Amino acid sequence: MESSDEASSSSVTVNNADESSPWRHRGRERSSSADVIARVQRCPRRPIRSGSDSQEAGPSLRDDVCQTNSPSVKVKCWSASSNGVASCTEGSKVDCCGGGASDLPLDESTCSAPQCINPVTPPSDSDSDTQEGDDDAFNTVGELSPPPPRHRNTYESGRRQSAPGQLVQDHGGSESELQSRRPGLAEYFSRKQRSVPQSAPGWKLFGKVPPKQSPTKQAQIIQQEFEARQMAACSSPTHHAAGQQSKRKVEFEPLSTTALILEDRPPNLPAKSAEEAQRHRQQYEQMVAAAKRRELKEAQRRRQQKEQRLRQEELLSNTSLVWNLHILPHWDLMRSSRRAQDLWWGGLPPSVRGRVWSLAVGNELNITAGAAPAGLERITRDVSRTLPSLLVFHKGGPYHDLLQSILGAYTCYRPDVGYVQGMSSMAAMLILNMDEVEVFISFSNLINRPCQLAFYRVDHQLMLRYFGAYQVFFQETLPRLFLHFQFSGVTPDLYLMDWILSLYMKPLPLDVACRVWDVFFRDGEEFLFRAALGILRLYQDLLLHMDLVSIAQFLSRLPDEELLSDRLFACISATPMLSGNRKWTQVLSSCRDSERTS
Amino acid sequence: MAYAYLFKYIIIGDTGVGKSCLLLQFTDKRFQPVHDLTIGVEFGARMITIDGKQIKLQIWDTAGQESFRSITRSYYRGAAGALLVYDITRRDTFNHLTTWLEDARQHSNSNMVIMLIGNKSDLESRREVKKEEGEAFAREHGLIFMETSAKTASNVEEAFINTAKEIYEKIQEGVFDINNEANGIKIGPQHPTTNSTLSGSQGGQHAGGGCC
Repeated sequence: MESSDEASSSSVTVNNADESSPWRHRGRERSSSADVIARVQRCPRRPIRSGSDSQEAGPSLRDDVCQTNSPSVKVKCWSASSNGVASCTEGSKVDCCGGGASDLPLDESTCSAPQCINPVTPPSDSDSDTQEGDDDAFNTVGELSPPPPRHRNTYESGRRQSAPGQLVQDHGGSESELQSRRPGLAEYFSRKQRSVPQSAPGWKLFGKVPPKQSPTKQAQIIQQEFEARQMAACSSPTHHAAGQQSKRKVEFEPLSTTALILEDRPPNLPAKSAEEAQRHRQQYEQMVAAAKRRELKEAQRRRQQKEQRLRQEELLSNTSLVWNLHILPHWDLMRSSRRAQDLWWGGLPPSVRGRVWSLAVGNELNITAGAAPAGLERITRDVSRTLPSLLVFHKGGPYHDLLQSILGAYTCYRPDVGYVQGMSSMAAMLILNMDEVEVFISFSNLINRPCQLAFYRVDHQLMLRYFGAYQVFFQETLPRLFLHFQFSGVTPDLYLMDWILSLYMKPLPLDVACRVWDVFFRDGEEFLFRAALGILRLYQDLLLHMDLVSIAQFLSRLPDEELLSDRLFACISATPMLSGNRKWTQVLSSCRDSERTS
Repeated sequence: MAYAYLFKYIIIGDTGVGKSCLLLQFTDKRFQPVHDLTIGVEFGARMITIDGKQIKLQIWDTAGQESFRSITRSYYRGAAGALLVYDITRRDTFNHLTTWLEDARQHSNSNMVIMLIGNKSDLESRREVKKEEGEAFAREHGLIFMETSAKTASNVEEAFINTAKEIYEKIQEGVFDINNEANGIKIGPQHPTTNSTLSGSQGGQHAGGGCC
């Protein structure tokens, strides 16, 4: 019961959001024709309304509504032109056939047209065979307790506006349309939710999350829930009305529009002629009949769909069984067999698809599971040791997997270089500043620069050339420290290798390292060596009093001091890369030349 | 800082076996579960006392990755002791010992004392290499052997000190020529028996790298 209730609920959103949830139940539970009546009656601008029509609806309810209907609503309804019938019919077509409600104008008068049809849909969603008994139940309950006459005019427009919106949603109409109608109603919904908290479980969606906030998502959720309930409704009998249901019926209250049709025209308007009244009644009955036909057709269609789906599923499970038991175990023999070929042609069951694809593609390259990720284990170990203080690259951290996949991808992309410790911090720095694809592109290109390539390949000779050129500038700019380093046995490899390989991320605090990177990308590799000399200049006085171990320890992790960045860059700018008149590149190439001669 | 001798140590072994953690535990008496990668080489130093004599240990902690092997080779020169470390929870690190040993023998002086260390002994449940296997390997290759845990500090002190004792004994036996710095031993400025002219501020050896 519950499920079927909810199944219908999704199509009549607004009514349930306000006082009319019982109405909704009634709509679903009653026979289709009764629903249609109610629906048609709710259309405020229908000119076909007359007292005699009301016989088809529950009499007591009808009376009740008649009494409480407010004049202002009547006037409004009756102000609609005579083409109201046409527009109403059109609206019903649109709704029932699942067409987009986007055709419908947003102004109140036309919005009411689809709304009047709106209730048609719920019963059509559930099985029609469950509705006969409920009809009686409904009537009884309705007689037992007439509903309180509330929410007549005040919320009329809100209801009208939102009902089509909900319809659109249920029938797969455009969501943007839906959204455009919703704003402004959120507050209304939540207000109503509070006043009638128990009325309909299906609507808590609206009460909790105002449509304004996440309309799209909500629409999906509703759609899913709707479908789920629909399924449940199909399988379980809906007419097992529990106490809950009857409680709802007690709360039943017809909408103002329901009553309008039961009345004569207001006294200030000319009364309908008998002919006109008759004509309206006929039109109305035609609509009822048409709606009922559509419902039956729709129900039939759904049943067929369901059967077809079940057949397909069964077929699929049989097919995958054949694949798993007969074809896959003897792939080489069976792949060309008629049976396999035929099954293959009909499409692979998802459960075996990957396996078949992989077998069909084959492995001419003889790639083994162990061969592909060479060194990946080491990467995994190192990734969690990268910039540990940031707490983003550790196992389970937000960037752990990304860093790992970047390094793994690079290892596969450049097996000639492979993964070298130090790369992880470089990639980490890029990850902190770029998106995934950019990281990989920049990372790969960065390592491809001559200086980086020399160090990451640990090309001893090339590294010595860089160290040699660096020493030339070192001696020229900081001669005292140069001598002290020579005397203490502090060779450039003891600190520069670390600095270059980590691109200063190891010795410097992250913000200062970032600034070094900034200028490195401006000036190129020369700046890396200039920055080194800047660091030595900054700490020259300290370093002059240290021994090998202290110097090496100090330089591997420089103190994180205030204004380090500014002070360091002042020292760097005081260190022009000039040896005599020679620039960095000239010194470097002369080092290369001397290698050749020696 | 007054010391009788300065011994140069080098720590070698696969990446991730806990070389830097052993050093940190020995020099700072603390354990850092997530240690920065060692690129190239890092340093540590600590004073110990053997036979009433102050001995300064200057420890070179090398990068374990294969790529850096060509660089670390140059750091063997002038080392008096080596700690060859493997991880008892990772058999591959034990399997690589032979290549490490070959490297060490080839690039160091023949008298270098090598201590084989099976680290992470606290992770008994994940052990992949039996203690007996380590002992057997050490016996076969003439090494001293210990299992340590940088995390719990178990045997860490002993590993460094026992190596120093071995070196010291060799000095006493006259195996090491203490006046030859290539042996990784330097006589301190206030050595009681020798009038050394070596300056105390002088660090280790002029090892590796250098100008072109």
